[in-house]
Amino acid sequence: MALLTTDKARSFLAVNLVRGRAGIVRGRARIADRANSAPGRLTIFMAALAALGCLTGLAGVVGSAQRSDLIDAVANRSGPLAVQAQQLYRSLSDADATAAAAFLSSGSEPVALRERYQADIAAASASLAALSVTSERERGPVTEIAMSLPVYTGLVETARSYNRLNLPVGSAYLREASGLMRERLLPAAKALYEIEIGNLANDRGGAASFPWLTLPLIMLTLAGLVATQVYLVRRTRRLVNVGLAAATAAGVVLLLWVGLSWVGVAAQLSASDREGSAQVELIAGARVAALQARAGEALTLVARGSGAAFEEQFTANMTALAGTDGRGGRLAEARRRATDPAVVNALGAATAAVSDWRAVHRQVRERDDGGQYPEAVTLAVGDDPAGAANAFNRVDGQLSAAIAAASRTFTERADAAGGALAASGVGWALLTLVLLTGLVLGLQQRIAEYR
Amino acid sequence: MKTRMALVATALAVLATGCGSGRPDVAAPPAYQAPRPVGVQDPAVIATGSAGPAPNCDPLASLRPTGPRPVPGAMPAGSPMATIAARGRLIVGVDQNTLLFGFRDAATGEIVGFDVDIAKEVAAAIFGDWRGHLQLVAISSAQRIPFVLERKVDLVAKTMTMNCDRWRQVSFSTQYYEAGQKVLVGRDSTAKGIDDLGGKKVCAAAGTTSIQNIAAAASKPIPVSVRDWTDCLVLLQQGQVDAVSTDDTILAGFAAQDPTTRLVGAAFTSEPYGLAMHPNAPDFVRFVNGVLDRMRSDGTWAAIYRRWLGGSATPPVARYRD
Repeated sequence: MALLTTDKARSFLAVNLVRGRAGIVRGRARIADRANSAPGRLTIFMAALAALGCLTGLAGVVGSAQRSDLIDAVANRSGPLAVQAQQLYRSLSDADATAAAAFLSSGSEPVALRERYQADIAAASASLAALSVTSERERGPVTEIAMSLPVYTGLVETARSYNRLNLPVGSAYLREASGLMRERLLPAAKALYEIEIGNLANDRGGAASFPWLTLPLIMLTLAGLVATQVYLVRRTRRLVNVGLAAATAAGVVLLLWVGLSWVGVAAQLSASDREGSAQVELIAGARVAALQARAGEALTLVARGSGAAFEEQFTANMTALAGTDGRGGRLAEARRRATDPAVVNALGAATAAVSDWRAVHRQVRERDDGGQYPEAVTLAVGDDPAGAANAFNRVDGQLSAAIAAASRTFTERADAAGGALAASGVGWALLTLVLLTGLVLGLQQRIAEYR
Repeated sequence: MKTRMALVATALAVLATGCGSGRPDVAAPPAYQAPRPVGVQDPAVIATGSAGPAPNCDPLASLRPTGPRPVPGAMPAGSPMATIAARGRLIVGVDQNTLLFGFRDAATGEIVGFDVDIAKEVAAAIFGDWRGHLQLVAISSAQRIPFVLERKVDLVAKTMTMNCDRWRQVSFSTQYYEAGQKVLVGRDSTAKGIDDLGGKKVCAAAGTTSIQNIAAAASKPIPVSVRDWTDCLVLLQQGQVDAVSTDDTILAGFAAQDPTTRLVGAAFTSEPYGLAMHPNAPDFVRFVNGVLDRMRSDGTWAAIYRRWLGGSATPPVARYRD
């Protein structure tokens, strides 16, 4: 459509130029004279305005296509990739926490925990495959994860085997695996996530950028059309030139359409971030903190006496999650910024579950520090509804629900942003065509009158 | 029209070759750094312990028991034992990762071993029966002295070597076990002792006498320290160190966990084990020494030895400084 429009515009222009040239050929000596004459001036106006109109149409159509591409990238490329990166980060954190909890339940490792660990590793591998080197910046973290994940699972399996044999070296293998996870795998996953979030922000910024080329060009064309009409009214005393009036109307519609569609796109994309991806980012951060706190809780018990560092990990992540008093941290911030009632409710339930978890955790520590190790383990990983596992699972489940709701909002808003540009390419091309046709027909009529 | 087709064809050809030249990356993969246990130091930074040379002392000499041994349930008023009795339980810092001396029996969830049995005897001497009156706190090697000094535990029973440097911080009971530092290597290793390990990596836990002895060995091995003893076995199994060197007691536990390793050479140090207690509780030290005396003479020590280490042995003779 864009090509057609430009072609037609070009043929109008060509016709005009040929006529102009014919005039020049007819008498070079009269060039200066003709340029000063009314038809000469009108011909120049027509050529200039037609060129400007063509440029405007081209800029609008190309701009619309680029903007559509960027919106498409937000909705279908960088958005989903950011989700994949967040899932990778979550899956790895969850694997760490689950492996430690399963290890503690020695002898009779619960099937549910085993399956959860395997699902985490499978999900992490699948996310990694989806993320595999889409740009040079991702290469480093993707390679690190691809290289270390198999090594990690090997260490975990070694730990399991020794644990089943009731040998203390099993816990050393699990601690080494967890060290690999938190010192190399999780930082790489975090870096990857930040790259994808950055890409999403870039695409969003590009898609919502002000149409700096198209809008001024339309305004310039409109100004030219108005000036021409004022000139004609003064010269010919005829108020309305139907062609030029139609061209002006088309220009005004184009101006409004381009401006309003930009406002719509920018508003939807801004909402997709505010109500969608920014909240997902915040809640996902809270969820990872919860998972790492859980891993710290379990590893303190796995470490059997040298677990002070893991308990610090629990405390640090718990503070990041909900502040020192259980009413702050990422959870509170996410709740403050939440717009969807579903998200607000899920975050409220998560906050309540966090304070339950904290209370149980204190009991776990009291039991372990008081020498009641088996009782501490039962409270930490057993399926007691009042136990830490249950409280943690509620936190994780509510955060997962909140992320799902915010993700839905993101998708809806990103799709709506695409909708705001619907049919703009075809529409703007047609309007440009109307503008050029009106311009040429209207002015040709006047120029002919002088002959 | 023909020209246009030709142009399009040319453009497509250019595009195609342009894409084709984007060869897949077949560069050699980056070198992989194998994971290690958290907290490994390679080479180990050896804490010089105290400023200046260790004081001259007899590390084996402890305080002599005085008077008749208090009867269980009737501790002398005002004594540390009376405080423990009033609390209702004796708190003992133990290992839970060292097979045979202090380790968790996964079948029962209880910490058991040679050291734990000694602690049970002390609890029984205060309460009559240790059951329900003994609280075991699993600690790491580096936590032994701080836990005693902060009174987080009444007693540490964790393969702890008595030496003059430690005597300046804590009090020890009389010696209850004689260990010696040996070397554990893979079955294929040609090393026959610490002397054959010059320039090789040898592992021990941070904050132990073992790591200091490795650093001081004449053959100049490279000491590698870890947070927890079992991390040494992991490093040996992964081929990241050439040997582990520490007390034969701990190494025997490693060899029992991995039949492809073996203990080599004679003990090149003497590691007398004592129970560590707070330096401001001399009455408690004398009381514990009384318990150990009884165990030496009535066969309890020999029975514990037989249970965990097999065979028969005679307990180390008590030495006193009065």
